[in-house]
Amino acid sequence: MKRTLIFISLVLILSVLSISTALAQVQTRIRAIKASNVGQTIDPSLRDLYSDLGSLFNFTSYQLLRDNSFILSPNQPVSISPRPGILMEVTLVGQRAQVVELIIRVVRKGKETLNTQVRLSPRRTVLIGGPKLREGVIIYAIAASF
Amino acid sequence: MWKGGGRMKSECSSVSRLLEKYFDQEVTPEERSLVEDHLSDCSACRDALKSMENLTTLIKSPVEEAVEKETFPWVWEKVEKGIQRKERPGLWDFLKSWLDVTPFLKRKILIPAVAAAAIVILITAPLLFKKTTSYPTLSVVKYVESETYNVMIYELGTPQVTVIWLFEGPEEESSTS
Repeated sequence: MKRTLIFISLVLILSVLSISTALAQVQTRIRAIKASNVGQTIDPSLRDLYSDLGSLFNFTSYQLLRDNSFILSPNQPVSISPRPGILMEVTLVGQRAQVVELIIRVVRKGKETLNTQVRLSPRRTVLIGGPKLREGVIIYAIAASF
Repeated sequence: MWKGGGRMKSECSSVSRLLEKYFDQEVTPEERSLVEDHLSDCSACRDALKSMENLTTLIKSPVEEAVEKETFPWVWEKVEKGIQRKERPGLWDFLKSWLDVTPFLKRKILIPAVAAAAIVILITAPLLFKKTTSYPTLSVVKYVESETYNVMIYELGTPQVTVIWLFEGPEEESSTS
């Protein structure tokens, strides 16, 4: 009987483990970029994004302000502060073979200014931009690898 | 005296046949009694018994010592080969023997096994039968809510970029930087 219980326990443990590994962790990167038309400086660390940014916007200068990389686990929100006074909360809410679903909340001065749910594939980048920052605007580039 | 000595000698000859059995503790209670009575009176037989004990000790001690020291690798090798020669049980037989249930459908394992299977199915079923949505390439933004900004969404296939553009709200981010 003791052996039987051990066997059943092992089966249960393996089942739970296999299910939990199905929802693997997701490496997420959020870059805060200041885009402006002052000067013609392209931050070298934005080379991978520049062709996308250049084809979408008319800004002449892109400067990396902050680069946050973190690992998301299912349904566990991660908060980062990409800019002073800005809190961005990212939660992994779903995962398929090539797509992850993230809920992104932006909170400014305790008030939620944006709440969105996006589906990211490994090669896709989501840019959230528009808020003015001095003479330019801020753009958040969000990408996930898994 | 002669008579006694003759009795003793005749008893010695009959007891000596039993002496070895007595030493090996293979005598009957009657024989034991006979031998012990005789030994109490006969020093020659006592000496003979003592000689047997000494001889045994002489042989036994080194043998036991050797046995304790020796690991008999060749014996173990033979045993291992013998084990290997035995037909290996199949996986099912192994599982049955390991679970110590024959036949398998004994109640003591059937109920826990069914319960475990039910739990596993309950846990895995939602994942197995979950609706697998195939996302169109451009359907990236599921929803956007903002009370502060007006929102515009660009979803491009090439490059693979989605833009959520927030138009000016009542307060601008520059005020905090």
